[in-house]
Amino acid sequence: MRSSVKRPPTPDAEEEEQDREPTLQEIINIKLVESGEKERLKELLRERLVECGWKDEMKTLCRAFARKRGRNNVTVDDLVHVITPKGRASIPDSVKAELLQRIRSFLASTAL
Amino acid sequence: MAAPNEDNLSSHSQLSSQFFGELLDSIIVDVASECHRIARLGLDRSLDDEEEELRLSAQARARVADPSSSGETTSKYVLDIFGQTHPPVANEIFECMNCGRSIMAGRFAPHLEKCMGKGRKARLKATRSSTAAQNRYSRGNPLSNHSPSSNSNSMSRLSNGTSHVAGYEYSNGTIEEP
Repeated sequence: MRSSVKRPPTPDAEEEEQDREPTLQEIINIKLVESGEKERLKELLRERLVECGWKDEMKTLCRAFARKRGRNNVTVDDLVHVITPKGRASIPDSVKAELLQRIRSFLASTAL
Repeated sequence: MAAPNEDNLSSHSQLSSQFFGELLDSIIVDVASECHRIARLGLDRSLDDEEEELRLSAQARARVADPSSSGETTSKYVLDIFGQTHPPVANEIFECMNCGRSIMAGRFAPHLEKCMGKGRKARLKATRSSTAAQNRYSRGNPLSNHSPSSNSNSMSRLSNGTSHVAGYEYSNGTIEEP
C-alpha cells in the first residue's frame, strides 16, 4: 500500500479528524484522484451526457426556469435544485452502465 | 486483506454507485453554474427576447411618431450604447479662443477655418493685420512700422533659430534679459 494514502492531518484540523481513520470511501477517493482516474471518469461522463442530449435537456430546464423567475433573480443553487431530480433520473442506462463498469474495474485493479 | 469475493463484489457495487453519484452531482453543478452565467450575463438572447423586442419596438415607434423632439430631423435619431439620443448638430455654445465670438460646437470647425486662415477672406485678414502676426513670422527683418526699436532689437537677437512660440511671447513686450 502506498504511503501517500495515509496523510498527516492538516495543521488546523479539528480534534475528531485526527482520531478517526479514513473510511474506505475516502481512501478510494484519494486513489481515484491521485491516479488521475477521477478526472478521466468525469470527462468521460461529461462527454457521454453531451452526446445523448442530456446536457441540452438540462440547459433547457434552466432557461425555462430563468425566464419564469426573471434572469437576474436566479441563483446557482436554484438551478441545481431544478436540475437534480430530473437529471439523476434521466441518465441513459447505457451511460450509467459504462461508467459503473469503469469504476468497478478501477476498484478491482487497486487490489482492495 | 483477504476478503471473500462476494463481499467485495457487493461493496464494490455500492461504492461504484456512490462514486457515480458523486461524479454526476459534480457535473450537475457545472451545468447549473454555466446556465447561471448565461442567464446573468444575458447571453441567451431568447431569455428576454420577446419582452425586450416588444419594448424596443414600442419605443422606436413612439420616437418616430413624436414630432416635438429637438434637433433637425426626427428620422435621424439613433440610440447610442447608453440609450441616449444626440441631435444631429452639436448644440453646446462656447467662446472661440481666436476671435472671441460665441460659437455653436457643431459649427466650430468651419468657423475656425474662416477665423484662422484657411479661407480667402481669412488670408486677407491676416496680411492686413496685427503686430503680433507679423512679428511672429519675421525672420530678422526689423519692421519699422509697428514695433518699437527695443522690440526689434530683441527680435533680431532671437531670430537665430528660435521657435515661433518664443518669439510670440517676446513680442508681447515682456523682455527678459539674462
